[in-house]
Amino acid sequence: MNRQRSLARSGNIENLLKSGTKYLSSLEETIIQNIDACIDLAELLTTSLGPNGMNKMIINRLSKLIITNDSSTILKELEVVHPAATMILEAAQMQEKEIGDGTNFVIVFAGEILKQAQSLILSGIHPVEIIDGYNKAGKEALKYMDELVVKTVEDVRNEEDVAFAVSASIASKQFGYEDFLSTLVAKACIAICPNNEKNFVVDNIRVVKIIGGSIYDSKIIKGFVTNRTPKGSIRKIENAKVVCYTGGVEASNTETGSNVLIESAKELKNYTKGEEDLMEKKIKKLAEMGINVVVSGHNISEIAAHFLEKYGILALKLPSKFEMLRVCRTVRAMPLSTFIIPSEKEIGTCGSVRVELIGGTKITIFEQSKKNKSKLATIIVRAATKNVADDIERAIDDGVNSYRALCKDGRLLAGGGAFEIEMSRHIQKFGEKSPGMDQYAIKKFAEGLEVVPRNLALNAGMRATELISNLYSSHEEGKKNSGVDVTNEGICDMVKKNVFDLYQTRYWSMRLALNVAITILRVDQIIMSKRAQSGIAPPPQVSRDVD
Amino acid sequence: MSLRQLNKNSDIAQFGQALYINLSAAKGLQAVLRSNLGPKGTIKMLVSGSGDIKITKDGKVLLDEMHITNPTAGMIASTASTQDRISGDGTTSTILIIGELLKQAERYLLEGVHPRIIVEAFKLCRTKAVDFLDSFKIEKEITKEFLIEVAQTSLRTKLKQEVADLLSEIVVNAVLTVKREPNKKTGVIPIDLHMIEMMLMQHKLDTETKFIDGIVLDHGPRHPKMPKRVENAYILTCNVSLEYEKTEINSKFFYSTGEEREKQVKAERSFVNARVQKIIDLKNEVCKDGKHGFVVVNQKGIDPESLELLQKAGIMGMRRAKKRNMERLTLACGGIPLNSLEDMTIEVLGEAGLVYEHILGEEKFCFIEKPKKPKACTILIKGPNKYTITQLKDAVRDGLRAVKNVFDDKCVIPGAGCFELALHRHLLEFKKSVKGKMKLGVQAFADAMLVIPKVLVENAGFDHQDVLINVLEEFEKGNKVGINLESGEAMDPQLMGVWDNYKVKRQQLNSCSIIASQLLLVDEVISAGKSEKKDKMKH
Repeated sequence: MNRQRSLARSGNIENLLKSGTKYLSSLEETIIQNIDACIDLAELLTTSLGPNGMNKMIINRLSKLIITNDSSTILKELEVVHPAATMILEAAQMQEKEIGDGTNFVIVFAGEILKQAQSLILSGIHPVEIIDGYNKAGKEALKYMDELVVKTVEDVRNEEDVAFAVSASIASKQFGYEDFLSTLVAKACIAICPNNEKNFVVDNIRVVKIIGGSIYDSKIIKGFVTNRTPKGSIRKIENAKVVCYTGGVEASNTETGSNVLIESAKELKNYTKGEEDLMEKKIKKLAEMGINVVVSGHNISEIAAHFLEKYGILALKLPSKFEMLRVCRTVRAMPLSTFIIPSEKEIGTCGSVRVELIGGTKITIFEQSKKNKSKLATIIVRAATKNVADDIERAIDDGVNSYRALCKDGRLLAGGGAFEIEMSRHIQKFGEKSPGMDQYAIKKFAEGLEVVPRNLALNAGMRATELISNLYSSHEEGKKNSGVDVTNEGICDMVKKNVFDLYQTRYWSMRLALNVAITILRVDQIIMSKRAQSGIAPPPQVSRDVD
Repeated sequence: MSLRQLNKNSDIAQFGQALYINLSAAKGLQAVLRSNLGPKGTIKMLVSGSGDIKITKDGKVLLDEMHITNPTAGMIASTASTQDRISGDGTTSTILIIGELLKQAERYLLEGVHPRIIVEAFKLCRTKAVDFLDSFKIEKEITKEFLIEVAQTSLRTKLKQEVADLLSEIVVNAVLTVKREPNKKTGVIPIDLHMIEMMLMQHKLDTETKFIDGIVLDHGPRHPKMPKRVENAYILTCNVSLEYEKTEINSKFFYSTGEEREKQVKAERSFVNARVQKIIDLKNEVCKDGKHGFVVVNQKGIDPESLELLQKAGIMGMRRAKKRNMERLTLACGGIPLNSLEDMTIEVLGEAGLVYEHILGEEKFCFIEKPKKPKACTILIKGPNKYTITQLKDAVRDGLRAVKNVFDDKCVIPGAGCFELALHRHLLEFKKSVKGKMKLGVQAFADAMLVIPKVLVENAGFDHQDVLINVLEEFEKGNKVGINLESGEAMDPQLMGVWDNYKVKRQQLNSCSIIASQLLLVDEVISAGKSEKKDKMKH
């Protein structure tokens, strides 16, 4: 029988395709199973939602230990393979790229509305009707969002306002430290905010982690910090004039291969002397121009180092191209490709360049003086262990990203689930008004929004169902900003408590979550190729139709 | 069996069985693609061996990704691929029609009709059908609105309506930009769709996809301090190396003092610097008034030193541009691409209203917008993830083809199943004039044509028997109608603006009947030769 393998007798689709390919087409096999996978993924993350979210301990395949409740980090390490779950994951990654915060909401919300859709499908409603309903509800929600704006940050340079706006994002990762960290982030961001705040670049806030000390020892440096130390013995220079070379600080080289041609001992002696003279002349010229710091991207030759030391110039080698550019940005210098005498315009200035010893680590600091605005700020994070420092860094990153979103759009929504409850109420009413089968889906969408307050409450150890009904009744009384009070158990006015969510974050996360949920609902057939096995050759497969 | 004596490893399926194999493969393939057809078709998810996801409704993409191994199914699939190559659309319906032709033929074959008779009948029907197509086509004045309707008809079968409508306008704009008016010297110049660049950007949502009047390059200026935004720019497109090049022969340089070496370093640079200086001189000359900016796009490299010189002169310089983009760039902005920097005048420069860099995460893009007389343009495809972007890209490609086909054919066919229904009726008329058993073949062909409207209705969730009878009754009254998939009722495709390409239908009629005939005439399937894999397993 084995010989007849190549002539498939039956029209079964799998027989037409490469062996091992799976073809799934029933409702049960596709939508329901896809949704199950998404729900699993969402449930994994719901416990990490909000300030009282639990941490996850992840040991990745490089057996590195990570402890965090930052969902984007968790997802990165999970290596999801299920196709539908991957799609949700990609939506979350897009959120990370677009805003840099709110990934958890994307997954949890997408998972929740899919769960609601599943119950509708099981009760016999066609996926197309659910899609229509979700689309309508989504459109209405995005429209109604404008009306739920509770506050607008007009001045992104007002430290207090900014700190409140970013604190919700930080609090969900580092609850308890959010006041300190959000002030730190606000200060750093405002210090480097360009004249047109829309041009704020997240990259310009650096985080340097140094183990030891307590989190309250963390501080901001208005400038650039690197863990490389200068070559010579000069350790500190005030009012520095800085020149940056991307190439090496050494005798220039010809492109053509070159040899030194020496015919006598005298020439040999003179040659070295000549080289030294050349170098000294150049460096002397630099010193005469007032330059006292040289940063090089390549080698600093021994002769060069010697003369730099002699003329009191601090010499630093920074092999990383990016670090080099950051120094240039900090001191406003022009990076020069070769070792030439710079013009006045190409020289940068810096308030102080110094080496500091923090907790046993030597770092070089380029700090701008008060009157000179720096384009770069560095936050030095101190923490007892590496894991804590990593987690704080992630919280700061989220905070800085929130600031960027804030610069683009200063509108704020009430946090702590208040916005979601109000929106849910609105969508429910909207659903009641719409005719046809859509309304079931619209109402389920509204229910899906409850996931945020419910999990905030659950994670804080409160009774969720009771709390949500309390919230609804409170909203019914016109207290539109009541949300979950995670510190004192119960409900309170989120605006008075200064808990805000960014309009931008919610806007994108709702859109992306809805988008991916709808795509998953649309898929009714799946064709899966056999998984490629890397490395080891696959074991001999017994053909499907042999038997 | 005699063949087994010839080759032990061969496999043979004879007459009845052979036909059965082919029929079941065709039907199997039809079953997969069935739910794809039309604007109400569902989408499929393809997961590759490495776990990459693709989501599609496009028959062509699906067939490419399915890895078909069955020989009969493979043959049908390759017909569909040809369909795509020639007309850019209609792959799904090709598969459906082939499957249906065989299915209908099977009914008669089982009753003992010889396949040859059916094949002969198919041949007759094909000529008849193509003639009918020619009489059915509608020549219309080509207006923008009309083109958008054509594009919509094609795109709505591939994407959700919201995005499809957005893209329709984009593709029509793009084709109209690259279309050149015929002049006396050259005659009609065919539309070159390669002049439309598709740039993919993983950013925001699919509804942000845009038509860009100009060119988008997927790299930015190379020097961090170069201007990031240039208005009223002169654009120099050149293919000149602006970096030091080593000699071909092995050369070495001897020196005995540091000064001598310094001189050599200078001399080496001076050659390249002279070239850069020429560009800078030109810039200084044309940009005297200070209102213009200057951009250099070079196909070859620009080394860091040259970049620095350009940057000091306030020039935005881009190196290692793609060759196809160089061609598009001169078409979009005007100017002449240069291979040497001798005798440069203002005539060789292109012009663009705005050039700016856009950074997206790690990737840099450079937009060259608002050119003077654009003959090339870009469609900027955006989407939140890879699969959305590929889906859009495939759809845009088909949309462009659909619009181009209108210009090529100069006519269209009313869509929404209208043509198939009319052809069905026409063939039934024709049947009366046919003598003998051939009548059965004609009947099979005519019935097979109904598969398109049938599946369209099925996918929209209506009862296809009800709807088809309804619509055929309308025909009885002398109205040429199609099916409204929103309501399941008859409608006039001409009023609703549903148009199919002439080329697509023509190719379909020809290829489907040929391949179906071929498969019907197969009486033995022989699989001989050794499969290499199997051999290895035995060892």
